[in-house]
Amino acid sequence: MKKRLIAAAVSTTMVATLFTGCGEDPARAELDSEGKPKKILAMVDGTVFTKENGQEEFIQRWEELTGIELEILQPDHDAYYDVMGQTFASGVENWPDVMILSPDYLAGYAQEGALWDMTEAWENSDLKKSGRVTNEELVDNMRINGRVYGFPTQRGNGCITYVKQKWLDNCGLDVPTTYEEYMNMLDVFTNGDPDGNGIDGDTYAVSAAGLIGTEVPYVNYLPEFYQDAYPSFYQKEDGTWVDGFTEDSMKEAIERIRDAYQKGYIDKETLTNGTNDCRTKFYEDKFGVFTYWAGTWATNLKTNLETNGRDSELVAIPPIEELGQYLERRPPIFAITTACKHPEEVFKYFIESMLDGGDMQTLWTYGVENVHWSTKAETVCGNEYAEGEFHMLESLEKPGTQYTKNNIDPMLSIAQFEGEDPGQEQIAEEARSSQQTFNDNSKLAPRVVSSDAMSQYNGDLTTLKNSIIADVITQGVSIEEAYARFEEEGGAEWSQLIVDSLNELENEAEE
Amino acid sequence: MSKKVAKAVDKRKLMSQIYRYRGFYLLFVPVLIFTVVFHYLPMFGISYAFTEYRGISAPKFVGLENFQRMFSSPGFMRAFFNTLKLSILKLVLNTGMAVIISLLLNEIKNMKFKKTTQTIIYLPHFMSWVVTVSVFSLILSPSQEGLINSLLVNFGVLDKGEEIYFLGSKVWWTPVYYIVNIWKDTGWGTIIFLATLSGISPELYEAGTMDGAGRWDKMRYITLPALANTIITVLILNLAKVMNLFESVFVMQNDAVIQQADVLQTYIYTQTFNSGALPNYGYTTAVGIVKSLVGCALVLSCNYFSKKIRGRGII
Repeated sequence: MKKRLIAAAVSTTMVATLFTGCGEDPARAELDSEGKPKKILAMVDGTVFTKENGQEEFIQRWEELTGIELEILQPDHDAYYDVMGQTFASGVENWPDVMILSPDYLAGYAQEGALWDMTEAWENSDLKKSGRVTNEELVDNMRINGRVYGFPTQRGNGCITYVKQKWLDNCGLDVPTTYEEYMNMLDVFTNGDPDGNGIDGDTYAVSAAGLIGTEVPYVNYLPEFYQDAYPSFYQKEDGTWVDGFTEDSMKEAIERIRDAYQKGYIDKETLTNGTNDCRTKFYEDKFGVFTYWAGTWATNLKTNLETNGRDSELVAIPPIEELGQYLERRPPIFAITTACKHPEEVFKYFIESMLDGGDMQTLWTYGVENVHWSTKAETVCGNEYAEGEFHMLESLEKPGTQYTKNNIDPMLSIAQFEGEDPGQEQIAEEARSSQQTFNDNSKLAPRVVSSDAMSQYNGDLTTLKNSIIADVITQGVSIEEAYARFEEEGGAEWSQLIVDSLNELENEAEE
Repeated sequence: MSKKVAKAVDKRKLMSQIYRYRGFYLLFVPVLIFTVVFHYLPMFGISYAFTEYRGISAPKFVGLENFQRMFSSPGFMRAFFNTLKLSILKLVLNTGMAVIISLLLNEIKNMKFKKTTQTIIYLPHFMSWVVTVSVFSLILSPSQEGLINSLLVNFGVLDKGEEIYFLGSKVWWTPVYYIVNIWKDTGWGTIIFLATLSGISPELYEAGTMDGAGRWDKMRYITLPALANTIITVLILNLAKVMNLFESVFVMQNDAVIQQADVLQTYIYTQTFNSGALPNYGYTTAVGIVKSLVGCALVLSCNYFSKKIRGRGII
C-alpha cells in the first residue's frame, strides 16, 4: 500500500511539473483602486540586471516606487529573440504585457497586430510635455506608417574606430582623416614596428568579427572600407527603396576590403572571429585599429589593456572624410503587446515612468542604492570614494569589476533627469569622450521594414550576399564572377522582388 | 478451445498482469504523458507546412506552395545534399574508426593501460561543440600561433606568410570537419563495440588457435563476424539521426564555406532568424517534414538491406 501511495504521489508530481507554467495570471487583468494594474509581466533581455546581479532587489525597488507587482521573464541574452519568437508562437495567453524588442522585428510584429499602438499614449504623456525629452526625433524615427508601436528610452549607439595612441606615436603618425591616410596607417601598422618590440611586420592593423555584420547596420565593424556602401535595403532620399548590394558603391567597398585583406592589413581570421576573439587580440597588442562600441566600451577596452600590461591610451577617431558619418544602430524599444489588458496603464507606469527624471529613472539607469550604487565613503575595487560621492559598486557576478549602468545608458538616454544626473560624475572621461564623438558624427541606420517577399527570400538572399563578399575577399574570386553568381543563383531576382514589395508597401502607406 | 475463448483468456491474462504490476504502470504514466504531449501532439503541427504562418495571426492555407518553393530553391537543394554527404560520410568514418579503435583496444592486455586509454579517448565526447571548435580554431589558426601551420612552416612544407586558413577554405573545410568529428566522437562510439567484443566466447579464439589461426585470421573469422550485428545496429540507429546535423556544422561554418557547410538544420535556422523579417514557420515546417521523411526512408531502406543480406533487420 505504502509503495503504491508513493508511486501515485511521484507520478502525480511528475505530471504536474510537466505543465508548470501553463495558464494565465488573473492579477494581470485587474486594476487596483488607484487604477493601476495589479501586476505587470515584462520580458527583457540581459540589458536589465540579471538574477545574479541583483534583479530581485531591482524588482523590489520598482514595486516600492509603483505599488505594482512586477514579474520579469529574462531568457538568456543570446537566445532572447529565439525565445521571444517561441513565446509569440505559443499563444496569446503566454505573451508578456511589455517587452524589449529589437527594431529588426518591430515592423513585422506591428504589421501582424501583435503590438499595441501607443501613439496617443505617447502624444498625451506627461513625459512628452515635461520638456526633458532631448531626442523626440528618435521616437518619430521608430514610427511605422506614422504610428508608434515601440518606445526607445535611449539611443541605439554604434561603433567608433579606436586607434592605439602608442602605436601612432611609435610610427610618428597623426590620426587619419582621409582614406589615403587611413590606408597609410594600416600599412605602417602591418609592415612596421608599431608595438615597439623591435620586430617589423609581426602585427597587423585591423581585426573584426566577420567581414560583414549579422544585424543592422551590418557594416559597423569595418566602416572605413564600406564608407557609403550598404549591403541591404534602404530608402533613397526620394523615398524609393533600393538594395544597396546591387549598387556600384558596394562593389567598390568589397574591392577595398579585398585589397586590404590581401596586403595583410586585416586579420586573416576575420571571417571566423567572434567579438571576443577580436577583443582578446586587441588586448594582446596583435593589432592596433579596432572599430567597436562607443561609450562604456571605451572604458572596458582601456581597463583590459591595462590588465594585460599594455599601454591603454586609445583615440576614438572622428569618421574619415570618405565615410562622413558612423552608422548608429536603431535602438531596441519597449513595446506593449496586444495581449496586455490595460495598455494605457502599462505605458504610464512601466514605460513612461522609466524616464521620470527621478527615482525610477535612477533605478533603470544605475540600479538600486547600496546594491548597485552608493554614496557612502568607501573603497570599491581599489577606488576610494568620499561621503556623498556617487559611485557604482562592485559587480555581484564578477567581483573585481564595478557596475557601469543598468538598462539605460546615461550617455544615451533620450530624457534628462530633473536637476542633475546623480551619476554624471562617475562616467569615465574616455567613455564620455568617445560617446560624444560618436553622437556628434553619426546618423541612424536605415530602418527595417518587413514584407512577404522579404520574409520569403531574404534568408537565402542574405546567405548568398555574405557568401559572395567572403568569396571575393578571401577566396580570390573576381567581383565580376561573384556578381555573375549573384544573378545565376537568383539573388538579383529575389532582391528585385523585395525592392518591389517594399516600394508597394510604401505607396500603400502614402495612399 | 475456440479462437474467441483463447482471445478472452489472453485478454484476462493481460489485464491481470497489468493489475499485478499496477505500481510500475502508474510510474510509467508520466513518461507516457510526456511522450504523447511533447512528441506526438506536436505532430499536428505538420499541418503548418501547408500554410503561411508567422507565429501570430492565424495560419493561411497555401496548399503545396511551401513545398514548391522548397524544391525550386537552390539553397534548399544545396543544404539537402550537403546534409546527406556530410552526415553519411561522417557516420561511416566515425563507425569505421570506432571499430578499428575497439579492435586495437581489445588487443591491449594491460588492463590499467587499457582503462586509461579508454578514459582519455572518451573525454572529447563530453566537451561542448563550442569548446571543441574553439580548441581546433587555435590549433588550425592561419598564423605561427596555430600548431599545424607552425609545424608545416617549420618542416618547410609551407613558406611563412602562406599559412593555410583551414576553417575558411572551401578545399579544407570538409576534411577538417570530418577530422574534428572523428576526434570528438570515435572514443564514445567504441563503448558499444568493446562491450560486444568482451562478450565473444574465449573458446572460439582457443579453438582458432588450435586450428592454427593467427591474429589476423582470428580477427577476420571470429571477431568481425561477431561485431557485424552490432555494426549494423549502430549504423541503422545512427542513420535515423543523419538528417539532424546541426550543432557541429553551425559552430564551424562561416560565409566562405557556406556552399559546403550549409545543411538542412542550419538552412532552417537561417530562414527563421536571418530573414530580416518575421519567419514563415509554414515553410520551415515543410523543410522539417522533408527532413524527417528522408531520415525515415534511410532507416527503413537500411533495415531492408540488412534483412536482405543478413536475413534479419532490427526494426
